Amino acid sequence: MSDKSYEEIFSEFEEITNHYSRSDQYFDILYDSVSSTTIAKTPSAENFSVNTKKSGIVARTFSGIWNEVAIEEGSDIGVIRNKIPKLTKKGDTIAEFEGWELNKEIKPKIDPSIIPIEDKIKKVREIYEYVKNYDERIFNVQVKYMELLIERIFVNNEGCKLRQVIPRIRVMVLPLAREGSVVDYDYSIISGEIGYEIFDLFDHELLEKTVKNSLEMLEAELPPAGRRTIILDPQMAGLIAHESFGHGLEADQILRDRSYLKQHLNKQVASDICSIYDTPSLKNKLGSYFFDDEGIKAGNNVLVENGILKDFIYDRRSASDLSAIPQGNGRRESFAHPINVRMSNTYFGSGDYSLNELISETNEGIMLVHGFFGMEDPLGGGMQCTSKKAYLVENGEKTKILKATALSGDVLELLKNIDAVSKDPTKLDGGTCGKGSEDLVPVTSGGSYLRVRNALVSPG
Amino acid sequence: MSNERLNLIEKRLNSKNIEEYEIYLVERNMYETIFLKNQADNERDIRDFEYFIRILSQKKDETGIGVIKGNSMDIGQIDKNIDICATLSKFNSSSPYDFPGKTHITDLNTADKKILDDPIAIKKDLSEELIAEASQQKDVKTTFGRFRIHSYHNFLRNSNALDLNSKKTFFFVEFALKAQKNGALSEFWDVGYYKEKEHLKFNERVNNWARRAKDTLRAEEPKPANDAIVIFPPSVLREAINPVIGFHALAIAHFEKVSRYNIGDKVASDNITLIDDGLLDGGLSSNSWDSEGNPQQETEVLKNGVFRNRLYDQKYAILDDVLSTGNAKRAESGTVVNGISNLKILPGDISFEKMISNVKEGYYIEQFSWLHPDDKSGNFGAEIRNGYYIKNGEFQNPIKLGNVSGNILEMVKNCIYISKEREFSENVLFPYMAFNNLNVSS
Repeated sequence: MSDKSYEEIFSEFEEITNHYSRSDQYFDILYDSVSSTTIAKTPSAENFSVNTKKSGIVARTFSGIWNEVAIEEGSDIGVIRNKIPKLTKKGDTIAEFEGWELNKEIKPKIDPSIIPIEDKIKKVREIYEYVKNYDERIFNVQVKYMELLIERIFVNNEGCKLRQVIPRIRVMVLPLAREGSVVDYDYSIISGEIGYEIFDLFDHELLEKTVKNSLEMLEAELPPAGRRTIILDPQMAGLIAHESFGHGLEADQILRDRSYLKQHLNKQVASDICSIYDTPSLKNKLGSYFFDDEGIKAGNNVLVENGILKDFIYDRRSASDLSAIPQGNGRRESFAHPINVRMSNTYFGSGDYSLNELISETNEGIMLVHGFFGMEDPLGGGMQCTSKKAYLVENGEKTKILKATALSGDVLELLKNIDAVSKDPTKLDGGTCGKGSEDLVPVTSGGSYLRVRNALVSPG
Repeated sequence: MSNERLNLIEKRLNSKNIEEYEIYLVERNMYETIFLKNQADNERDIRDFEYFIRILSQKKDETGIGVIKGNSMDIGQIDKNIDICATLSKFNSSSPYDFPGKTHITDLNTADKKILDDPIAIKKDLSEELIAEASQQKDVKTTFGRFRIHSYHNFLRNSNALDLNSKKTFFFVEFALKAQKNGALSEFWDVGYYKEKEHLKFNERVNNWARRAKDTLRAEEPKPANDAIVIFPPSVLREAINPVIGFHALAIAHFEKVSRYNIGDKVASDNITLIDDGLLDGGLSSNSWDSEGNPQQETEVLKNGVFRNRLYDQKYAILDDVLSTGNAKRAESGTVVNGISNLKILPGDISFEKMISNVKEGYYIEQFSWLHPDDKSGNFGAEIRNGYYIKNGEFQNPIKLGNVSGNILEMVKNCIYISKEREFSENVLFPYMAFNNLNVSS
């Protein structure tokens, strides 16, 4: 397959798709290929690896349930015809969406494929050396460069004929600091639909900031446990929007009767100064694309507007069952993974406060900074979101630095207790999201700064 | 089929006069049923294949290692892959390294012949059994589930005449049961891999899920406490011990200067003896050989709380002038990394029931949202999903929400009880354990 041109793949896919009549059954077929380059450096190891276009295809039909066959590169595509039966009169078991055509390649400013591998290695080594030598308390540095090129070709029997080629790059720098017996760290990650120009963003200013952030952690104290006024930075706001709230809006959970939000549609779920979106069509973000893995055009989900829950997030199946308009949220990790309803770029809209006002108006609180990880609870509406660090806020000023801080409790209670949103432009940070423990897809999440009254924090 | 693929790749390597090479090839078949409520909603049949080539370039006092991953068997593409891999090896700068050679490998059966013979029939029978058990439960409903059979065939061949292959079968189960009463909702959501069919025990397992889902309906937030007694089951201990104690025991952690463990240090309570067992019967990570072809083995990590041995792959074994303990893992990118295999903790001398009865006041945590401790510091703080408050030796009310926090490296120094009973949870065989230095907040 990967040895064929995309025109040949289209032709082969159209031939097999024509075998299945839309009036009798829904059928689609997806080609997935990933090329990658990974360069990682730590004190005791350098790891370089290249993945040259690992590819496969997955085809499926719907007859009331999905029947899906995935095969690897080089397989006889005839296997699909043998394994996916031709049906009759099952076409209306799933709604029909209008077919469309697209052939789009994102061209980054500097195409990484034309940069010699030795130049990329040199960049990683330079970052490593700069950070390692910045301060004698830095005893370990981890630098990782990961470059991906993803090609997806989709054809279905509703007239979709789609191709997208998307570059994604991620660079991480993690300096570990030690003083006496205290060891701690912070890190910086930049990612997106971006090219080799990503290294321009990792300038000395950012590297110095990254090292200083790690060194600052050496002074960090354990955070207190209990209820406090908190200020969340855009990364923590994004974690709440995505993990604690967004997963409960994925409409497969609605079909499963497994979402605490099912009963809240068109009702108040957050403070009226809050709006939350999921937008796969944003440009150049890690969670962006032109069409999802079901051929649905990427759009914009307005999830919460002025505190009111306006909509859920759909794939083809849930949109069909719930008579909704999907915005392109049916995603696969790869050809070997199933479609699930997935978020893309999920974020809070901006408000009208300045960050200074948020802090200066807070007599006693905690500012949670640098979203670390979070976990979903779509049925219970519970929350676990942890920041890498935090600051005590006393008498309107940031004072002591605190270690990792966990935010827990009831997510709707937290959303309703938001009393201020900053006017900073929405900031999105990239990451990887699993559905439960697997099926990982690239996403971003973010927003601006939020202040929340009476939130439950503890050491994380 | 795969021997033909191996032969072709090796022929191309030889045609380019590559002297030191390794081919690692994986064939994967997966068969899955995804449930929507009590009905099958997606029947999936997946075939995947990939190969990794590593090429060494020996230099003065160091070795360059190139790694390539692909799945094209087109000769032109294989040649291109080999050229890229050789280039990577020239630029790479690693510590001195050689591929393992032939040695004695223990014969270990890690595949169920019945699954190899007819995986689709086995999947059908077991997924029907799972959904039938769930459907019989009173006062709970299935919201969704996944049942998957994995059947893998791995091959490793290198320029030191090593030529190995092994088959492995195992299961994946994800299942959520919901309870509902007077507008309140609760669930038990379980996710895990199981090596053997005998580990699935759907009747017992589904009954437990249902009991937990129903109990959580009446859960309260836990009473806050410092230095609380907290008891964990094997599944929670796996999430606590593997990423922290397992990490600090690895040779890579020592050479990266992040391990807190020196040989002979007292790092845990006297009652803890921890073993890395790459040959553990029923262990998810069991295999005769590791990802470089070194034999997997049993290595005592902690004996009565004292750190005894590090876990080595070939790279770090050469650096420390010792033999590999068979602890090499293959990363997604194809690089070889130092990692644990299966961990087991020797059983204690009291029953789980007796352990509970000994606790005047404490907590039993069956499931966290995500424990996710920091591997280097051992710090953690996680939300309670399902648990129980213990008072005067008996379970009182179920608990939910609130956080348990502490440090795994310190926690294992304060282990007050270890149960006689042990259970498999993926790549561990652990007992139930009680600790008295954790904090509970709500």
